[in-house]
Amino acid sequence: MIKKNNWKGWLYLAPIIILMSVFTFYPLISTFLIAFMKNYDYQVQTSEGFTFDNFGIVLHIIPIVSGNAEPAWVTDVIEYAIPNTLIITFVTVPLSIIIALAIAVGLNSIPKFQKIFQTIFFIPYVTNSIAVGMVFAVLFDYKGIINFLIGDMGSPWIDQGAPRWKAMIALCIYIIWSSLPFKILIFLSGLAGIDKQYYDAAKIDAAGRFKTLMHVTVPLLSPQILYVMITSFIGAFKEYDSVVGLIGKPGTDAGTNMYTVVYYIYDSIGRNQVDYASAAAVLLFIVILAFTGIQFWVSKKRVHY
Amino acid sequence: MEIRLKHLTKIFPGNPKKNIPDTHAVEDLNLTIPDGKLYALLGPSGCGKSTTLNMIAGLSEPSSGEIWFGDEDVTDLSPEKRGIGLVFQNYALYPHMTVYKNVAFPLTNLRVEEEVKDASGNTVLDGEGKPLIKKRKLTKIEIDKLVRETAKIVQIEEYLWRKPNQLSGGQQQRVAIARALVKHPRVLLLDEPLSNLDARLRLQTREEIRRIQKSTGITTIFVTHDQEEAMSISDEIVVMKLGVEQQSGLPQEVYNEPANRFVANFLGTPPINFFHGEIKDNKIYVGDAMVKEIVDKKLPDQKVTVGIRPEGIVPNPKGVLPFHVDQIITQGRDILIQGDHPEETRPCKFVVDAFTDVKVGDIRCDVKPHKCFAFSLEGNEERIA
Repeated sequence: MIKKNNWKGWLYLAPIIILMSVFTFYPLISTFLIAFMKNYDYQVQTSEGFTFDNFGIVLHIIPIVSGNAEPAWVTDVIEYAIPNTLIITFVTVPLSIIIALAIAVGLNSIPKFQKIFQTIFFIPYVTNSIAVGMVFAVLFDYKGIINFLIGDMGSPWIDQGAPRWKAMIALCIYIIWSSLPFKILIFLSGLAGIDKQYYDAAKIDAAGRFKTLMHVTVPLLSPQILYVMITSFIGAFKEYDSVVGLIGKPGTDAGTNMYTVVYYIYDSIGRNQVDYASAAAVLLFIVILAFTGIQFWVSKKRVHY
Repeated sequence: MEIRLKHLTKIFPGNPKKNIPDTHAVEDLNLTIPDGKLYALLGPSGCGKSTTLNMIAGLSEPSSGEIWFGDEDVTDLSPEKRGIGLVFQNYALYPHMTVYKNVAFPLTNLRVEEEVKDASGNTVLDGEGKPLIKKRKLTKIEIDKLVRETAKIVQIEEYLWRKPNQLSGGQQQRVAIARALVKHPRVLLLDEPLSNLDARLRLQTREEIRRIQKSTGITTIFVTHDQEEAMSISDEIVVMKLGVEQQSGLPQEVYNEPANRFVANFLGTPPINFFHGEIKDNKIYVGDAMVKEIVDKKLPDQKVTVGIRPEGIVPNPKGVLPFHVDQIITQGRDILIQGDHPEETRPCKFVVDAFTDVKVGDIRCDVKPHKCFAFSLEGNEERIA
């Protein structure tokens, strides 16, 4: 019976298998292959054999062999893309998780207006990120409301000439703000699943609010926290559209001081350096894989299903 | 610690716009729970017994009335200040903590008051010349000692390092009791403590609860819908119905002298048998049969409901009450007979000795007068004889 109808199963699966093969598996394998090809030309799809040099060039360990002075982009990854990506990741992810948790717990304890606030907090999620970026760009404009509030009119945050650290602050605030709704939603649904009796028990055991939060809520919410942590770390490592949305170009100077790794990958393709882009993508993949692995390993003791 | 409930009332407001009336979960409840006793709140579901317990625990606020622990009015006191231990129906053990941590958790929140001593060991006095009292947390060693002591009482020493989901229902139950007992509460409250256990474990655990209560001497209130459970281990019981107290007292007294039809019906397995009957010339009749003579008082002739306990009906060829036996169910120790009588309100059940010779068909029975009651047809269907 099972064997006879097998083709039917494959037929049902065919659309997704074909789409995934063309748009996911083929590019994925190609990326890995191209990352190891020497002087790959994507228009004619030729290369001069296999090499590890692409990784070296991306990381500015091996000098590029072009005779003349080195072009500016060779130091982009080491100087801007990697540090910026790491800052974005390790600032925005923990902060946004803590803020989202606080908001979710807060929302959960005021059942009266929960629905209204839930909607308000969810609005950023359904808003286009470029549109949100433009709003933040107006807020952080050198004549914008942020400067008005802190009484520092005219000094740029994200405009031409702004220092890198100021642009980074604006960028992180924007990323945190736009990543909150999804996290709040996940945490709220997790909180709804916690038996109220645990809180009654904690009350009788004379545990204070903060202690209840740390010893009851957080451990019982740990599966949701792990899920949010892993997805947001992966998302933060791939941050790109926020830079485009907020700043509109790779830097606040003439150069690329706001590069992220993915931004570098896109620009490399634009410079017809698909081999370097692939090498960078493979490096990013390895880092994300390792990082996710570490999180799973750490979570084994700390997550309670 | 003697607990007194004075005119305790809990009303859950309805919604007048949607025509949902208020729910009177507990109404004007007056109880005195004696010190050091095991006290059972007994009633069918929805009778307000859990609400009463929650109000005693402080998790639910009474609409009116007072709760006293000894000489202290605790009505407005928050739960953590009442000094109670509560065992929840589904235990509510923290699933992420080991048994040890679960039991230790209440202690980590506890503050003990202690006189401040100076370097040479003398008591430091405050401005008014009284010893200076300071609050402090328990040390790890003190906590460890208390946890192990309590674990010993409830016999969970072997499981201290397991997580709750690695324990059986009975073991979880004991952990929950340990967590409630560890801070030496003034009152121990148990909410349907046995309802999540299987039949065998239930018997065993209720003995266990009895033993723990006796050995600690702590005033214990427990809520149950199982009359057998309540009768077997409690010192005193109160039977409730729709938020109103029906009867309280010693279990055997309540069983022997039920105040009304509800109490008579609720206590006892198999349940009491009811017949349409009447009182004539101070005698109780079921049909033509005179089942009991009232000797201690004079009652007017009237229609009544006659209740006869299953053990109060004894087969006897010369008996007064005719029955048609439908079914004989052997139970080992005794026989359960299911039979019909023209005046019954539901099929009758009675229990007789295993060696009694009964067959399906028509038989006659005697009635033990002290197992026979007459209930008024009016009002709360009070017992009148």
